Amino acid sequence: MRPLWAAALALPGILPAAAVAQSVPDQGIFTLSYLDYRDWQPGADRMTVRSPSFYVLAPFAEKWTVQGSVVYDQMSGASPLWFNTLSGASGEGVHDYRTAGDVKVTRYYDRYAIGIGGAYSHERDYISRAASLDVRWWTADRNTTLAFGFGGSADYIHPTDRNLNDGNRETYDYLIGITQNLSPVDIVQSNVTYNDGRGYYSDPYKPLDTRPERRRILAWLTRYNHAFVEQNATLRLGYRFLNDSFGGTSNAFDIAWVQTLPQGWTLTPSYRYYTQGAADFYMNPPYPSGYVRGGYYSADTRLAAFGAMTFGLRADYDLTQGWSLYLSADYYRQDPSWRAFGEGSPGILTFSARWFAAGVNKTF
Amino acid sequence: MNMSRTLVFVVIAAVWLAFGAPAVAATAGAAAPAFTLDDAAGKPVSLAALRGKVVVVDFWASWCGPCRQAFPWMNALQQKYAGKGLVIVAVNVDKKRSDADRFLAQVPAQFTTVFDPDGKTPAAFDVRGMPTTYLVDGSGKIVLVEEGFREETRDAMEARIRALLGT
Amino acid sequence: MTVRRHAGGVRALAAALAATLVAGCATLAPPKPWEKGELAKPSMQFDYNANSQRYTEHVYDSKEKAGGGVGVGGGGCGCN
Repeated sequence: MRPLWAAALALPGILPAAAVAQSVPDQGIFTLSYLDYRDWQPGADRMTVRSPSFYVLAPFAEKWTVQGSVVYDQMSGASPLWFNTLSGASGEGVHDYRTAGDVKVTRYYDRYAIGIGGAYSHERDYISRAASLDVRWWTADRNTTLAFGFGGSADYIHPTDRNLNDGNRETYDYLIGITQNLSPVDIVQSNVTYNDGRGYYSDPYKPLDTRPERRRILAWLTRYNHAFVEQNATLRLGYRFLNDSFGGTSNAFDIAWVQTLPQGWTLTPSYRYYTQGAADFYMNPPYPSGYVRGGYYSADTRLAAFGAMTFGLRADYDLTQGWSLYLSADYYRQDPSWRAFGEGSPGILTFSARWFAAGVNKTF
Repeated sequence: MNMSRTLVFVVIAAVWLAFGAPAVAATAGAAAPAFTLDDAAGKPVSLAALRGKVVVVDFWASWCGPCRQAFPWMNALQQKYAGKGLVIVAVNVDKKRSDADRFLAQVPAQFTTVFDPDGKTPAAFDVRGMPTTYLVDGSGKIVLVEEGFREETRDAMEARIRALLGT
Repeated sequence: MTVRRHAGGVRALAAALAATLVAGCATLAPPKPWEKGELAKPSMQFDYNANSQRYTEHVYDSKEKAGGGVGVGGGGCGCN
């Protein structure tokens, strides 16, 4: 019952996700964190996920860094309504796990840095392997950084139900980005990523679910940070436009305010608004209206038209000797009536989720 | 052919002068720009007053990781060569004095530290990166500029200091 | 139809990217090396809180149509 959690399979590490600046960091860091996730829909049982994870970044030999992470997801509960009414698994509990890890090595030169990474993710019915290469180059004044990234992944799907067929998928990611220091208190970053995948995209557990064998996703992400010196605060803004060959675009806007407080506290409230159009082959309920033999079809509400909001709050507390703690809480809700630039899909229920995360950091 | 080569040279030189050449860079061979800045006790420190001595002028900030790494090395230089005529002047460029003080509480400096929150001195020196270290000889002339803090740069700097001090 | 939509998207993105750049460089003065104290703060990095950002991205990736697009870092103190 995999597609619930790791569906999009955007592995951490498939693209250069958390690269550091233009020089080897003078300190290493490790983070131990724990996520507690729960979601629900009216009338449906809850799905819970618990994930401990470990992350480390360490500089070595003056010009190198290595970073890596491992995560273990433990999923339990029932699937949302739209899911289990079709699969015949209604009422059955879902228990699954996922283990994933990634590692990345970066070599720094005076004017550029090169990183090579690999990632692996394993579930009972899903295995994914990925590799990435990225190059960052900066100007002599170090105010402009250009980034180029390339990633590839190979996924293997083998449904737990033996009557269903196995599937394979290969995807390639390309990234080009620019980061610019605009002023002593303003920085902007803009990235375009293109993802080109071929293979099995359908949901093996859903009868009739038939999706194209090729998917191309173009995403444009722009982020902007501004430091408020007097207030000891940072404003963080982000906007992502995404075009999907399955049909429909999506827009995500997010804002966060990082407030540094006395005695080592930092408080960060955040908000995100998201809206997406439906995939061309998404069909409204009742199932299976709109299904044509031989055509593309899906009743997966993740492909429907809706809007979503997230409210988050995070608290950080600095201890002595490089130790710090954090605690965060997020509330997320999808509602078809929140869709912007068009009508939401009819006949789908609101979907809610909340997640708490806690962690400890140590710099060394 | 000769002429076209000359033309290429002229074009390259023009482009270099227009975009690449520093305005009045404090490079090796140039006179070190004068400055007078207050130290931690509020006592003015003037570069001109140090004429006749070998001076290390280091630009640093609390937010700069490699600067932090350079401090123990400069403390060692101070211990080894202060008695032989070396003076180390570390110019702090933090906008907030409290940031610099917090840094100095963590990483004590055994050499002279002065404060330039307005950034006039690094502008006069045309500092290209943090940290940048200038070695100034007895006549007030810059003899070596090292950008960044790496093993190669610290060895080269110490070798020149020894040569200037005649040790 | 899909191809045409992508081509239009690319053109729009390229234009917007260029406009952002030009506007940024024309109206604001990039910092000198000794003016990067604020930019060096962790909260000014694009990979700030990378760990919990990953969790959040993971949730979105699995509950929305398509995810991704989060890119690389850059910036910082620009120290050597």
